[in-house]
Amino acid sequence: MRQIIAKGKDIMIKNGLFIKLFSVTLISIILVSTLITLSTIRVSTNLFLETFSITNSKIIQQITSQFNHFSATVATTVNQIENNGVIKRVLNEEDDDSVTLAGSYYQVNQELERIYTNLQTFDANLVVSGRNQHLYNMNYIYWPVSKPYIESLRITEKAHASPHALTYHAMETAVIENDRVIVAVKALTERLSDYIYGTVYISIRESQLREFYQGYTSEGNDVILIDQTGQIVSSSQAGLIGTEEHDLLAIAESTYLSDQEHTEVEWGKRDYLLLTEYLPGFDMYLVNLIDRQMVVRSLINTGEILLISVVIILFALGMVWFVTRRITKSLTRLVKQISKIAKYNFSERVTEEGGYESNQIAKAFNHTLDELETYVGIVLESQKRQRNAELKSLQHQINPHFLYNTLTTVKFMVMQGDPEHAMSTIHALITLLQSTLGEVSETVTVEQELENTKNYVTINQARYGERIKVNYFIGPDCQSLHLPKLVLQPFIENAFFHAFNKKKDGFIQILIRRHGKFLYGEVVDDGDGMVINKDKFPTKYKKKSQLFSGIGMRNVHERIQLLYGDQYGVEVTSELSKGTKVTIKLPIIESSK
Amino acid sequence: MKKVVFMILTIMMVAVLVACGNGDEDSVDDQEANDETEGTTNGEGEAITAWAWDPNFNIRALELADQAYDGEVDLELEIIENAQDDIVQRLNTSLSSGTTQGMPNIVLIEDYRAQSFLQAYPDAFYPLTDYIDVDAFADYKIETTSLDGEQYGLPFDTGVAGLYIRTDYLEEAGYSVDDVQDITWAEYIQIGVDIKEATGNNMLTQDPSDLGLIRMMIQSAGTWYFEDDGSTPNLANNPALEAAMQAYRELMEANIVSMVSDWSQFVGAFNDGDVASVPTGNWITPSITAEESQSGNWAVVPFPKLEVEGATNVTNLGGSSWYVLNSDGKEAAATFLANTFGSNEMFYQDLIDEIGAIGTYLPGMQGEAFEEGHEFFDGQSIVADFSEWTEAIPAVNYGMHTYAIDDILAVELQNYLNDKELTDVLEDAQSQAETQLR
Repeated sequence: MRQIIAKGKDIMIKNGLFIKLFSVTLISIILVSTLITLSTIRVSTNLFLETFSITNSKIIQQITSQFNHFSATVATTVNQIENNGVIKRVLNEEDDDSVTLAGSYYQVNQELERIYTNLQTFDANLVVSGRNQHLYNMNYIYWPVSKPYIESLRITEKAHASPHALTYHAMETAVIENDRVIVAVKALTERLSDYIYGTVYISIRESQLREFYQGYTSEGNDVILIDQTGQIVSSSQAGLIGTEEHDLLAIAESTYLSDQEHTEVEWGKRDYLLLTEYLPGFDMYLVNLIDRQMVVRSLINTGEILLISVVIILFALGMVWFVTRRITKSLTRLVKQISKIAKYNFSERVTEEGGYESNQIAKAFNHTLDELETYVGIVLESQKRQRNAELKSLQHQINPHFLYNTLTTVKFMVMQGDPEHAMSTIHALITLLQSTLGEVSETVTVEQELENTKNYVTINQARYGERIKVNYFIGPDCQSLHLPKLVLQPFIENAFFHAFNKKKDGFIQILIRRHGKFLYGEVVDDGDGMVINKDKFPTKYKKKSQLFSGIGMRNVHERIQLLYGDQYGVEVTSELSKGTKVTIKLPIIESSK
Repeated sequence: MKKVVFMILTIMMVAVLVACGNGDEDSVDDQEANDETEGTTNGEGEAITAWAWDPNFNIRALELADQAYDGEVDLELEIIENAQDDIVQRLNTSLSSGTTQGMPNIVLIEDYRAQSFLQAYPDAFYPLTDYIDVDAFADYKIETTSLDGEQYGLPFDTGVAGLYIRTDYLEEAGYSVDDVQDITWAEYIQIGVDIKEATGNNMLTQDPSDLGLIRMMIQSAGTWYFEDDGSTPNLANNPALEAAMQAYRELMEANIVSMVSDWSQFVGAFNDGDVASVPTGNWITPSITAEESQSGNWAVVPFPKLEVEGATNVTNLGGSSWYVLNSDGKEAAATFLANTFGSNEMFYQDLIDEIGAIGTYLPGMQGEAFEEGHEFFDGQSIVADFSEWTEAIPAVNYGMHTYAIDDILAVELQNYLNDKELTDVLEDAQSQAETQLR
């Protein structure tokens, strides 16, 4: 558990930059798109509903004028009937013989047919019922009624109770299935006596009344005709017809009275935009209910807007992820590489890739490394040169003692009358001196080096006698190989002057051989030997000045390493009273070089 | 640079995605729209509408035809009930303006009016000559439903008339059914007076605006409002019409007539038992039998006859035929009619069994159903009787203007009831008719 936490923490730290950048962008994108989406939906909804209500108030006016046209026609028709003398006379007649009746029926039918033409355009029906047995039904299909049925109707009773009012009533019809009729009813009264001689009914089927507004309605945009008792008389929603909705009536009434264009209401747990108009002829309210959600849903595809937003968010996030990842990843990698380089070496380079920024950084870093390396190279080179110069000057410093001693030896030889020996000693000295004059880095063939060595040995034997013998063992394949000049001399000198302090005579063996990729030069003596500490080199000689030139054993070693590298150099092994062995390891350099 | 290209690509992809989203939705809408249209054409069959007026009779016949239809083309029949006057008015309005918008595919037209429509709107109707076997129908129907050799109407019911009479009322007045067989109008009136005396009920109903009774009377005597050419008014000096007018006036004066002003009152009157008889076409049978409580109390006897030369006890009232309007769906409508009313013998048996409707398709006019006694009419085989009478119907030419004369005569009839001289009445009617139809 703790490991997992630690691992998580590690990842957090390593990807810190990415996580921060990404989360900031993530939050901003989601915030911005959510807010913009919501506000777009809200603004367009409001705008649309506003437009919708304006359009609908025009529509409501249209519908109202349709209804008013109908109620005006109804009123005219009722008036015509009431003022018609023939009808009044016939309806007042007591039932008589068939001949009179036939005449009456005929005349009334003629009159009513003429009057009825007004109503025919609405597919409305006209029924006139007399106090006597007369009943005229102009279009029985629309409202089939019989005399007893129509007299039993409550609306007849009501009309007789208030004989001057033309009132509208919605009712079931016993005969027509699934349809209701709206009946305008008025008692026919004699003007002077107020005697009621009949009743006029103008019926229109609900389905016909619905035609007045059906074309303007749609799902979520309903028209309702509601009477003063709260009964829904007609509606584009068939299910509502006949139900009583007192709340709706109250809302419609208050909206109409407050003179507002529309109100927002909650009815039946849904939000509606309500427009209303009072129909004075019907004494009913015409209500237009706009279901906000449904209407908005049909216009504004919220789902689609949300889908687009989500898709855009996802795309943006994908891009942000990709880009951020690219930038931070290359940075992270760069940081990792740089820290590694600082630890190990400068020759490696940071990979130049990733974004422009990290690319530039990597370039700059590499450039710095290049510069650094160049400077380091220059420093190294100058140090080398300095060392070379040093060596050169050392090489050129022929120890005056050596010259003095050699020349003194020669003088004694001459004095002892051995000019031949003196001659050869002088010759050796001249050759030896000549060899020291060249460049310190110059190489000579093994043969030449051997010549120098022999000359030096000759000089030393001339001075100190021949108690120390020198033997040469040179590999035949080594003659023409090159090696730095005077590499052997310091060791021979060392053997001459320090190996034989206790022992007074002995041998120095010089071996040069080729082995593998290396050229080995060995100076082996069977002298006193010595204790060798870690330094590989006998330190006790260190402070002693060199006898021939300024080049000491250590110098030889350093010089070889300087010239050829670390794998080359000088190795000394020694054993007390047994002797010392110096091995010089050199590369094979062909003379053709 | 790469990044910019990447961004542009992404934006384009988003745009394409959005566009795709819209495209999908559109195609879904199209799909739905297609489904809807397919629904009306293939799913439920081709929609055809038919107009008729009598829910007990020709509407029911259409319903039976819808059930009996077994043609290859899928059809969805919508039957709309309209008052006959409305049908006539709407047809006139639409056809005179040359449009068939809002019109049905099939319409029932009374034979009296057939010629006026066929001649006034020659291209408005679709000829059925190729759909039906014209010779298979009663001759007198073919004449009124065809024009210039093309058969336009598919003959439906005969309209053969009889006298429906309440046997119980007869008995109360001391008569039997035998006493009302083959009677004259004078005898009918006398029986009516006696029944009214005995039961207090009138003998019959009349709508003073409708001269159906007069028309039945004159056809029973083999005359019509017109000469045989169908256009020359034959009102004055028409003894049959004279006798009919007299009989009508005697009926009224006998005070045995109830007045009605519409069909529902007409039906209501005999269903409520207010009248003792109904002299009319056989198509009233279903309306009579609709009042089951009167089962066994009705009989059908031959129509009373006038006392003039050539008078018979057989006549006709109404009778109608199906017409196909020359508009979209005419082939389907014609196929429907040909498959049912035009060829299906079994269907005619059903018509009789179910609603007692007597057709004019001769191959369909036989079989058990015709002989069967009708329980409602106390075992009388009324269909057989009506079929027998049908053959004897005097053929007359209804011409184009039957109802125009009707309107003129209705006014003059009122004058006659108000003591205008009958010869003057008919002379005036004749001159009016000549003026109007010239």
